[in-house]
Order: sequence, then structure tokens, then C-alpha cells
Amino acid sequence: MPTLTIDNVTVEVPQGATVLEAAKKAGIKIPTLCYLEDVQAIGACRVCMVEIEGARTLMASCVTPAGEGMKVHTNSKKAREGRRTVVELLLSDHSGDCQTCDRNNDCELQALAHDLGIHDVTYPGEKSAPHMDASTPALIRDTGKCVLCRRCVTVCNETQGVGGIFPQGRGFSTVVGPAFTHDLDDVVCVQCGQCAAVCPVGAIVERDQVQDVWAALDDPTKTVVVQTAPAIRAALGECFGLEPGTLVTGRMVTALRRLGFHAVFDTNFAADLTIMEEGTELLTRLKKALVNKEPVALPMTTSCSPGWIKFIEYFYPELLPNVSTCKSPQQMFGAVAKTYYAQKIGKKPEDMVVVSVMPCTAKKYEAQRPEMNDSGAQDVDIVLTTRELGKMIQEAGIDFVNLPDGVQDSPMGMSSGAADIFANTGGVMEAALRTAWEIVTGTELPFENLHVTPVEGLEGIKEASATFTGCKPEWSFLEGVTAKVAVAHGLGNARKLMDKVRAGEADYHFIEIMTCPGGCIGGGGQPRMTTNAIRKKRIEAIYKEDEGKKMRKSHENPEIVQIYKEFLGEPLGEMSHKLLHTKYTPRLKA
Amino acid sequence: MKTVHSHVLVCAGAGCVASGAHAVIAALEESLRKHNLNKEVELVSTGCLGPCAIGPVAVVYPDGVFYQGLKPEDAEEIVSEHLLKGRPVSRLNFKVTATAQIIPALQEINFFQQQQKIVLRNCGVIDPTNIEEYIARDGYQALAKVLTEMTPEEVTDTVKKSGLRGRGGAGFLTGLKWEFTRKAPGDKKYVLCNADEGDPGAFMDRSVLEGDPHSVIEAMIIAGYGIGSDQGYVYVRAEYPLAVDRLQNALNQAREMGLLGNNIMGTKFNFDLEIRMGSGAFVCGEETALMRSIEGKRGEPRPRPPFPAIQGLWEKPSLLNNVETYANIPVIFNKGAEWYASIGTEKSKGTKVFALAGAVNNTGLVEVPVGTPLGEIIYDIGGGIPNNKKFKAAQIGGPSGGCIPREHLNVPVDYETLTELGAIMGSGGLIVMDEDTCMVDMARFFLDFVQDESCGKCVPCRVGTKRMLEIVSRICEGKGEEGDVEKLIALGQQIKDTALCGLGQTAPNPVLSTIRHFREEYDIHIREKRCPAGVCPALVRAPCMSACPANVYIPGFVSLVSEKRYAEALRVHRDSNPFASVCARVCFHTCEDKCRRSNLDDAVAIRGIKRFMVEQEVTIQLPEMRENEANAKRKVAIIGGGPAGLTCAYFLARLGYQPKVFESAPRPGGMLVQCIPAYRMPREELAREIRMIERMGVEIETNKSLGKDFTLQELRDDGYEAVFLAVGAPAGAKLRIANEDAQGVYDSIEFLREYNLRGSAAIGKKVVVIGGGNAAVDAARTAVRLGAESVTILYRRTRDEMPAYKEEIEEAENEGVIIKTLVAPQEIVSKSGKVAGVRCNHMWLGDFDSSGRRRPQVREDGDSFVEPADQVIAAVGQSLDTKSVLGDLPVKTKLNGFVASDALYGRTSLDWLFAGGDTADGPSSVAEAIGAGERAAVGIDLYLTGEEHAFWRETFDVDTEFDPDADPSDTPRAEMKLLPEERRVHNFNEVEMAYTESVAVREARRCLRCDFRSCGTEKSASH
Repeated sequence: MPTLTIDNVTVEVPQGATVLEAAKKAGIKIPTLCYLEDVQAIGACRVCMVEIEGARTLMASCVTPAGEGMKVHTNSKKAREGRRTVVELLLSDHSGDCQTCDRNNDCELQALAHDLGIHDVTYPGEKSAPHMDASTPALIRDTGKCVLCRRCVTVCNETQGVGGIFPQGRGFSTVVGPAFTHDLDDVVCVQCGQCAAVCPVGAIVERDQVQDVWAALDDPTKTVVVQTAPAIRAALGECFGLEPGTLVTGRMVTALRRLGFHAVFDTNFAADLTIMEEGTELLTRLKKALVNKEPVALPMTTSCSPGWIKFIEYFYPELLPNVSTCKSPQQMFGAVAKTYYAQKIGKKPEDMVVVSVMPCTAKKYEAQRPEMNDSGAQDVDIVLTTRELGKMIQEAGIDFVNLPDGVQDSPMGMSSGAADIFANTGGVMEAALRTAWEIVTGTELPFENLHVTPVEGLEGIKEASATFTGCKPEWSFLEGVTAKVAVAHGLGNARKLMDKVRAGEADYHFIEIMTCPGGCIGGGGQPRMTTNAIRKKRIEAIYKEDEGKKMRKSHENPEIVQIYKEFLGEPLGEMSHKLLHTKYTPRLKA
Repeated sequence: MKTVHSHVLVCAGAGCVASGAHAVIAALEESLRKHNLNKEVELVSTGCLGPCAIGPVAVVYPDGVFYQGLKPEDAEEIVSEHLLKGRPVSRLNFKVTATAQIIPALQEINFFQQQQKIVLRNCGVIDPTNIEEYIARDGYQALAKVLTEMTPEEVTDTVKKSGLRGRGGAGFLTGLKWEFTRKAPGDKKYVLCNADEGDPGAFMDRSVLEGDPHSVIEAMIIAGYGIGSDQGYVYVRAEYPLAVDRLQNALNQAREMGLLGNNIMGTKFNFDLEIRMGSGAFVCGEETALMRSIEGKRGEPRPRPPFPAIQGLWEKPSLLNNVETYANIPVIFNKGAEWYASIGTEKSKGTKVFALAGAVNNTGLVEVPVGTPLGEIIYDIGGGIPNNKKFKAAQIGGPSGGCIPREHLNVPVDYETLTELGAIMGSGGLIVMDEDTCMVDMARFFLDFVQDESCGKCVPCRVGTKRMLEIVSRICEGKGEEGDVEKLIALGQQIKDTALCGLGQTAPNPVLSTIRHFREEYDIHIREKRCPAGVCPALVRAPCMSACPANVYIPGFVSLVSEKRYAEALRVHRDSNPFASVCARVCFHTCEDKCRRSNLDDAVAIRGIKRFMVEQEVTIQLPEMRENEANAKRKVAIIGGGPAGLTCAYFLARLGYQPKVFESAPRPGGMLVQCIPAYRMPREELAREIRMIERMGVEIETNKSLGKDFTLQELRDDGYEAVFLAVGAPAGAKLRIANEDAQGVYDSIEFLREYNLRGSAAIGKKVVVIGGGNAAVDAARTAVRLGAESVTILYRRTRDEMPAYKEEIEEAENEGVIIKTLVAPQEIVSKSGKVAGVRCNHMWLGDFDSSGRRRPQVREDGDSFVEPADQVIAAVGQSLDTKSVLGDLPVKTKLNGFVASDALYGRTSLDWLFAGGDTADGPSSVAEAIGAGERAAVGIDLYLTGEEHAFWRETFDVDTEFDPDADPSDTPRAEMKLLPEERRVHNFNEVEMAYTESVAVREARRCLRCDFRSCGTEKSASH
């Protein structure tokens, strides 16, 4: 437990703590840029430099271990000037079109310049040649704004294990991007947007589609409906200064109505639908394997997360048969909105505009996959991220914080608690188990308060098991079978799990994969910056939403019962198969 | 066992291989076979001998005869003459550049003699591809000793005791590093060798790997035992294929012999080594980046701590040393740590290998004890600077290092001293620079290199060095601004403080160190838009012009002479320098020193062409003048009718002023008339150009002496608005020895002035002149002409160092003057108050003084002697009595007693007073004085009108023919003819004779026209 003094404040910290952490504990704020809690500490940007007595040069506090008896000065002349020079140098190589930048007022570099009182760039000079990469539907990369902090490199390579972007070139010509100056669409990018979520500036952002939504709303020939993903309600409030973890479901609905959507629905409804389909698919696969002894691909994995789908298409194409054929809830919603709902209101699919609000950038990509048009038109037309919705509400001048609560339209607005927890890592698994268990045994899932606690939380790979007892006659083949499940979030963890599957070392029946750390609540389109502490708060909020509902199992949702009765028939039935299931494409891009 | 009587060792290092060593070896083999000598003579391909620039080189043993610059066709002669008949082939032996002396024996060549080889002990001696030859020279004995007699702790202690410091650059104590790694917890540890030699011009590590790979392997195995490691990696750059090849071969041999692998030498110790090749990123020489690269990742540094000794390669404790450090290790164990620690300085032990490059006669690899003075490396081993150029600075430590200027030639080259001077030892790159190097351009080059090689990870290095490069580049382009140097210093310091790794932290060094030692050069680039070394293309129209203190458009007048357009040529000359005829005779012609033609054969004889040009002038033409009534009314005084004052008057007159010149002597001309003898400067020629100035409206009042006849204040009271002070440096300096006041002791100025102004001067029979400058030679030759029986010049350094023009010295000797060098007067011997001789000491050249020359010191072994004399003329310097000229005016003076004035306009600390020529600069050349006069004229005009009107400064072209694609003419330089000695020693007739027209025109055509810029080139450059 080293004790050190920082700006004459004495502080004791655990062994291995950095000077930055020690300063935080001492209540001293050291500015940072490339450092990002839970993501990286590499000492690259040199903004967090402090003067340590006895050291030859200034030291980057984010990587310097706190030592016993250390005397640290964060505001000595040398430290102040070093920090200022570094930020001025960064500004000298930065586009500087702040007012029109996506990150205006939400930019860490801008904030640094402000906080350090920088009024002038002492060493102006040539700026790096900017390159705009608009090759993907999800992300826009502008290297002219890049500060080369490498947060994106770390999340892409380490957290996500994708390896789409790296530092390229040397010296002043260094750029961060795909190999050989390719664009994102040329490489294995899964468009998860974790890079955009951690970017401190406007160098990687989602493709802004707010104007497309306005245009649709302004078009009198269109019926514009909106769905909101489970994770939005636990994060949207952060766009308006509310504490992370504030549930804003009702206010969100009201805001959407005020924006002028013709109907405000909920992706959660489609999540319940997903459970019906996916749960049935899993049981069917188990039956084929155990009863018919047919060769079926097990373990089955979830398919809700489009980044994950692209990831497995790139990296484990031979395991594609293991992926559930269910579309993601977003796409299920789009497909039924333009058929079931359209018929109800007497509209043609092409006159409908389905807008999604997603915590995710990959959803933008997913919506325009060529196979996603089973309604006869593109099932989902426009996808906004949580951040984009926040901006749209802001643009409309809506006082979000003080809005009254609203309620979603019906049908397709009602959802169970099981749908809510789709937002969290482990949530789809838990939701599926709640329904599947009851289908098989007729009794409630034997976990306290229906929570499969072993698969909850931020552990990278989680496992759980339960042995079926008292099975209904038609499921008697499961009697005594121990169902083994695994959950991974963050593609880096998914990779570890899939390597085991590929090696035949995993005897799970069902695996849930979510692309982003923490699940959708930590999605690439969520308000920045998402740290583990914030993930936890959002997760808690989601579980609170679940627990606050009477109806906590998908199959109990009366609107689900209704849609099967009125339109779909039965899970895995003909109509379901047409509208709610899909297929995948092996991709061999290097 | 076969017996051989001779060995022929041919260097097969990469340098010699590149210059054709393989062909030479094949030819030698062939010749030996032909003469049936192949059994008696053994031909060995060895590693690097050092003098790479003169390769391929070879040594024949047992006689130790060294051959250089071998070609395959020389093989037969070596075999038939030397090996067969015992007659060494002297035309292939080493030649001393300066004296052309031939030295056959390797051991007697300074280059080798003064080295002490520990690291390079086997290079050039053994066949690096044969492990037995290594073993025969005590190879692997140290390993045997370590494995059988020593504990790991004793191993690291021995290295600690030796005092060896890391030769990679920072000089961390090697033993300490070994100890840290040994003590670091962990069961897996690595021994790493950094062979990613990346400094431009450095190749010591390559040479060791090529010439003696086993020394590194043995050291790494010892290190493995010492720290408890069983695996090592050598990280070599892929650009060193020969080194990789030889190292791999050596590894295979060692493995076969059981020196690598399991149970080495029958002990329980296991260790193996692998090569990892790097792709040439400079930053991979940084230890943490190197380890990342070995791991297969992008080579980028990471912050330390944790240090590699704790967490290195694959996060395991790792020991990294460079090749040279390892090469020392076996010797330390064989000869003992105490022996090793006895070499070098108190804090820096052992030897250091330097890659000597640049402007030095003997380039190549040299190894000397740490602490050897820089001057000794450059002059004794390196053989000095080629072409008699002046040493300017040495860049030590590569792009991360700094430069050491000539004031510090004496400093011991060790880690601490270099750091104090703002350089670093680095890996041992030592680039010698002469006066033709622009320090700003040099800093730009190195900065460009590191900027390119920065890994781009941290902001200060990635963006900061780029900004520094931009500032330095704009200074080189003539776009520098006031404050740029301060910006460079501030930003450079910031980068040093904030960059992540050693590369970034040292990247500003070349800039900071050149600013520290050569700040003036930066200022000249920025303020005067001039590159004094004549290097920066944007500031240099032609190197000759940039070297001319008066900025004469030399290629312009030269090319007009080549077309016989003499009147136009003269007009071009007088546009910036009125004294065409004077300069045709007495100019130092620094232009010729910088002439690019000298790279081809010899410099264009610019002064000779000028001399012919002025001979063609019948009636003197006035230059372009711009009448200006307002200016004509303003009173400007010029004090001193020498070249500076008269030039100032000339240019003021061209702007419409009518200045008045006050001259203390009876005749105007200053030193030109008072000191420079008529045989060099015919009086009528000078008078003609002074009359031209008078005709332009300049009044010259002679016999008016400042301080005696009038004061500056009186001039002011008289309505003079501006005054240019150009009174020269009229007093001779004292000898400061006993009996200096004896009768018959003169100073040269006094002596020459007396003769030149009065027409007669007392002359002794035995005249002794003390000094080595032009004044000394002028006095000596004047004394000869006045009838002295003997004239002797005494000079305390060597003849090479005499500041007088070479041709003047030669002619003095031709006229009978005796020059005694390395003697210094101790006292004047006087008899009854009259001079009888000069007691002299014999001198030798000791260490280096602040002028970069060796300091003359009294020889302890030689007795003093008396040079008999009845007249002694001291020519040891000039001075100015500022008190007598300035009176009580508060004008700033410099430390050397001359008046302080700025380089741009000659402004003094008083706004109305300007100063230039020797008055401000101390004794300097005529052309310098002319340049100063011109600048003062511009400054005075600016002061009086608030604007610059120097219309003659505008760049113009001449319309002469020039074909840039044509080959240059192949005529050799034409020398000027001289009056035969017997026709000149008794009179003051001009000695030099002008060219004939055909010679002059041919000489003028030799000009390469460096000023030529074709429109096409500029256009294509903008694409």
C-alpha cells in the first residue's frame, strides 16, 4: 500500500495503482485523452503528464505506478507547460471545424482545450491530409479529426478481437485505419461501432440519419412508425444530463410522439416474439438430436446481435449452422410492422416507414442486408442510435427531462420483462430459459425471482446449467437432461468461446453472444462514455424494469398470443418461417 | 599439418564486398594457383579492417603490409612481386593524404596505430566463417571459465566490476542491468541482442557480426548463464544480409560443437539462440519497441516502468544489450574486470568503436579508449579534414545526438562530457563536418530523419518534431521569422520533457545543439536571408555569390566576360562592389573556395577573370545613380577613407546623397594604400576607383583625424544627421615580451604605413618578422624590396596553419624570405637599447584551442635559440583605440574592443552612428569591408528616410548564352603568370600579370553557371 503525496495531498493507494488513480483518490483531476477507464492506459497522448520529483522527464500518470514516498506535482510549471504544449500540438493537426462536427460540445479535445485555457496554437503548421471513409452504412471515419489516441484500435483488436483497424505508417503520416489504407467496408469490420463509442473526438461516428427521419415524417404519403430497442430506455436520459441508469421509458414514448411518429411501438414486443421462435427452435433442435438422433448443429447460438452475425460470417463461417435462424428483434419487428400492422391500418408496405432506435451502429448495417425485405419492402428503413435520437429530441426543442410519461401503441407495444432484459448480457438467455423451461415442464424456471444469476453481470464468459425434471409428456426426452448454457459479451470473449466450440471442447446446448461489452446497454450507439460503472447502472435499471412488471415471460404477453392467433399461426410455422427467420452468408474477406 | 609462409587477409566486410572484394579474392586465388603458391600462401577472407572508404583492403602477413583500393587486376602484381619476390607493391600502399607519403606497414599507419582494439580484436584477423579460428584466439575460453568456475552471481559481479556501460547509446552500467535481470523473479527469462543499427552512417555492429560473430554468441551464452535464461534472440535488421548470414553460420557451428543447446560444454546449462530479423524501422532500436517487434507486433515503444529487466519480451524478465556491448564480454572474462576497468576514464571504461564519416581524410571504423579527445580521433586517426578546409563540428550520436564545435576538440569523448555539451555517445556515429556544412541544414536533415522514423504513437514526437521540422525548413528556405529560434528551443525542450521514448526525447537534440553552438548561423538565415555555408538552395543563388561578402553576381560577370562583353561585366560587378580593380588584385576570393567546379577539377579562377576584365576598362563608367534632391540636402559623414568608408559613400551617392568622407591620412584608401604593398596593389589602380567615387559627388577631406582634429559630437553639432564610422583597426598589437621597446622593433602597420605613405622606411640588414598573417608576409616582402640582406618570418604554428594567402607565402619564399615555423619569440635580445635578435622557443602542437587548431606549446626538450636581427617587425594583430574615436559617447563595444554593430545595417547602439569594416569586425578582408560599407549605406538611408531603396540589390539575370544540358568545358584552371623573381625583388612593380584575352575567355567558360534556373525546372518543380 504505497503512500505518496500529490500536490501536497498525502494519499495511500493499493499496490499497483497508477499515479492517475492515486490522484483521483486524492481528489485531484489530471486531464487525460488517450486513457479510457476499462479500455486502455498506454501513455500515448502525453496529456496526463505530471512532474515526479527525481524523474528526468515528465511522466504519464495513467501508466506510472504509484510508488512509496513519491512526490508528484500536477500543476508545476513544467507539468502545466508540457500538457499545454501537447494539447496545442494536437490542435495544430486537427480539422477544427468544431461547430459543424458531430461531437460539437461533446468532444474531449474541445473540452481539454477549454479546460486548459488554450486560446492560441503556438506552433501552427501543415495538417494531416484528411480521408473520409463513408464506405459502410453504419460508420463514418474522418482521419482529419483523428487524434491517434488508439482507443478504437484497442477496442477493435482487444475487446472485440476483430482487428479491423491499426496504426499505419510512421511519424506525421501515421493514420489509424484498416490495413493498406483500405476503407472499413474492404476489411473485416463488423460495424459494431465500439470504435465510435470510445472515440474522444469526431473521427469515427455513426452515419447520421436524423435528417432522413425528418424527411420521412415530413412526407404526407408515408406512415412512419418507430420501435425502440430494450437498451434505449436505460441510457437515453444520459443525453439530457440524467444520471446513468435512469429509466426514461415513458418520457421516451412521449418524446417520440411529439416528434410526430404515427405510432410508437417497442422492439421489446419483437423480443418476446424472438423468444417464442428461438425457444421453439432450440427445443426442436434438441428433440432432433436426442430423439431422432439427427445431426443438428449444437450448441445453438443467439442471433440478435448483427455485429456478432457479421463476425461469425467472417471468422467462423463453418459454424453458421449453429446460429439460430431467427432474425433479430429489430428485423422481426420490421417484417411484421409492414405486414401484420400494415394490413391492420390498411397500408401497403411501401407506404410504411419503419424507424428503429437502437443502441447499436451495426443495426444500420443489418437493416440494409439484402435478405431483410420479407415484407415486400425493406423491412426496417432507418436506424437511429440512442445518440441520434437524443440529438433529434434536442433539435425539436423538447424538454425531455420534464416530459410526462407516455404509453406505447398497441398491438406491438406491449412487452414482458423477459424482453426488457434483452438489453443486458445474459438477458436473452434468461428470457429464453424462462419460456422454454415452462414449455417443457409447465413450471416456472427454478431460479430465485426468475434471475439466472450465473449468466448476469460483467464477467466475460459465463456458464449456467439446470436439470429438467417433471417434463411434460411431449418433452419427456428431456427428463433428467442437464441443460448447459454459456453467455459471452464482447466479441473478444465470443472468439474464445467459439474457439472452444470449433475445437469440440464445449458441450453447451445454447450460447448467447452479444457483440458489445455488457450487451446492448453498452452498444456502439449509446451515449458516451460507457465505462463498466455505467454499464452496471444501466444493467441494474433494466433489471428494475423487468422486476417492475407483472408479466415477466414472453409467452405470457397477450399481444404475442394475439399475433400468433391473428397472423403468424405458430412458432416456426409457415408465416413465421417466412417473416421471422433468415439465413447467413459465409464471408471470406481477409 | 600444412605449413604456410604467408597469409593474405582480404577484408570481406560489407564495405569491401561492395567495392569488389570478392572479385579481388578470386583474382588472388587464380594468381596464387598460377604461380603454384596456393599451398604456401593462405588466402583468408576476414572481417572489417576499418578503413572502408579505401576498400577493398588486404594485409599480407608476416610482413604486415597493407594494401588499399585493390582491383582484380592488381592481384597478379601482388602475387608475383610481393609474395614471390618479396617486393611490396608500393603503389597500392597507404598514402597520407596531406603529404602523399607512402606507408607500407599496417602498424605504422596512424589510422591503425592509434587504435586500441578490444571489440574489433578479431575483425580483419580471423575468418569469421570458421569457428576454429575464433577458438584459436581464445574463443569460448571465457564461456568455459564461466560455466565451470563461476556462479551466476560472480558472472554479473564481474561485469559490474569491469565498469562496462551499454554501447547502444545511453551508457547504462551493463553489470547493473545483468544483476537486475538475474534478480528479477520469474522462471523464464530472455537474453536479447540489439543489432538493429539504424543511425545514418553507423556500421560498427554490422562489422562485428560480419567479422567476429562468435564473440557475440559467446557473450550471450555467458549472459544466459549469468541471469538464468535458456533462450536468446538476436534482433538484426534485414538490410544486413551478410551479417545475418555469418551469424547464422556461426550459430550452426556453435550448435554443432555443443556450445549452444542442451548441456553446454557438458554442464547442466542449456541455452539456445535464434535470429529475428527487423524490417528497418529506426524506432525498433528502442528496447521496448524491439521487443514488440520480436513478438511479431508493430514496433512501438511502451512507457517504462516496468523495465525490461522485470517485464520485457512476452512480459518476461529480459536482458537487452547491443552487439558492441556483448563483444566486450569475453575479453572481460579472459583478461579480468580489473584489466578492463584500467582502460578509459574514471566513469567510462573500456573502448568505443566509432564510425568515422564525413569530411575527414580517413573514414571508417575506429576503436579507441573511451575518453580519447575528439581532436585526436579526427586529426590523428582520421587524418584531418580534406582539401585544407576548416573543421566546423562533429555530429556524435546520430540523429539523436548533437554536434561538438571546434572549441571542444580537446574534450574527452565519454558519456558525461558529451551529455554536458548537448550531444550523446549514441551508438558511435561520428560525422565530421567542415566549413561547407550549413548547421541549420544539417539539423534539418536529422530532424527530417527522426520525423520520418517516429513511430507516431505519442503527440510530442509525432506532431512536435513535425512542427520543428517545418520551422527549421522555413528558415532554410529564407522564410524564417524573428522568434523562430526561440520557438525551436521552447518546443524542443518540451519534446524532450514529454515524449514517450528515447527516440522522441532525443529527436530535438540536433536542432538544440546546433542552436547552442551555432546560433549565429540561424540568425543569419533568418535576418539576412543568407546561408553562410552556401548550402540552402533557396538562399544560395550560386555558392560563389553566397561566399562573397559583397554579394557580387559572379556568374553574371564571368559569363559576360566569356562573351567578351567586358563593359557590361564591369557594370554587373560594380553594381554591388565598386572596387573591381582593387578586388581583382587583393581579394581573398572566398568565392573560389566554394566554387562547385572544384568538385570536378579546380575552382574557376574568378579573381583572374576579374583582373582581365578590369584591364579592359579604358574610361571608367559611373554606375546607375538616382538623383534625389531631398537626399542631396542631408548631411552624412563618413569617417575613414578605406574600403568600407568609400564603399558606403559610393552607395549613398547612388541614392542621391552627397556624403563627406574624412580621412586622417594624406591619401584616401586606408589599408589598401597604407599597408598593402604596391607590388600587389598598384597605386594608380586604386586611385582610379577612388576618383570614380569622387566623380559621383563624394567629397573626401584628407588629413582630418577623428579624435585629434574633430569629434563625433562636433559633427553632430555641425548638422550631420548620420555618421558611418570606418576608421579601421589602425594600431598594431604588442608582442608582450621583454625588451619590446628596444630600438629597431616595429609593428608591421607602422612599418608598412611609413614606407607606403612617405615612400621610405628605415630597413635593417637582418630583418625578422614575427607572425604568420598577410601583414607579416607583406612586411617581409617589402623588406626584401627595400634591400634587407635577410628576411626571416617566425611563426609559432606550422606552415599549413599560417593565415596568410598560400600564394603570398610561396612568392615570399621565392623572393628569398625564410620561414621558420614552430618557433615563438620569448624575448627581444637587445644590446645597449638596440635590437640584436629574438630569443625563441621551439614549439610543438599540443591540444586543441578554441579556434579548433592545435595549441602551440613550448617544447620541454628543445633549447631556446637566438635569431639574430637588427630589425624586428611584429605582425601579431591589430587593434582599435575606441576611446580616442568615440570620446565620451555611450556606444557599446564588443569584448574584443571593437565597436558593436548589427550585421544587417551596421547600426551601433546610437541611432545616428553606424560602424563597419575592421572598426566593427576587427581585422578582416577587403571584401568584408566593402560588404559592410554597402550595408551601412542601406542602413543610413533607412534611418534617414524610413525606407530601404537599395535598388542594386534586386536580383537580375544576364542574357548570356547557356546550355544547361551541355557538358562543362574540359579546360583546366588557368594560372596567372607572375613577374620573374629577379625582375621584382628590387622594385614594387606588380607581380601578377593578367591573362590574355583567349585565356580569360576560356577560363570564364569553365563556370558551371550555378545561378542558372531554367523556367522549365521551376515549372516541373511545382507539379
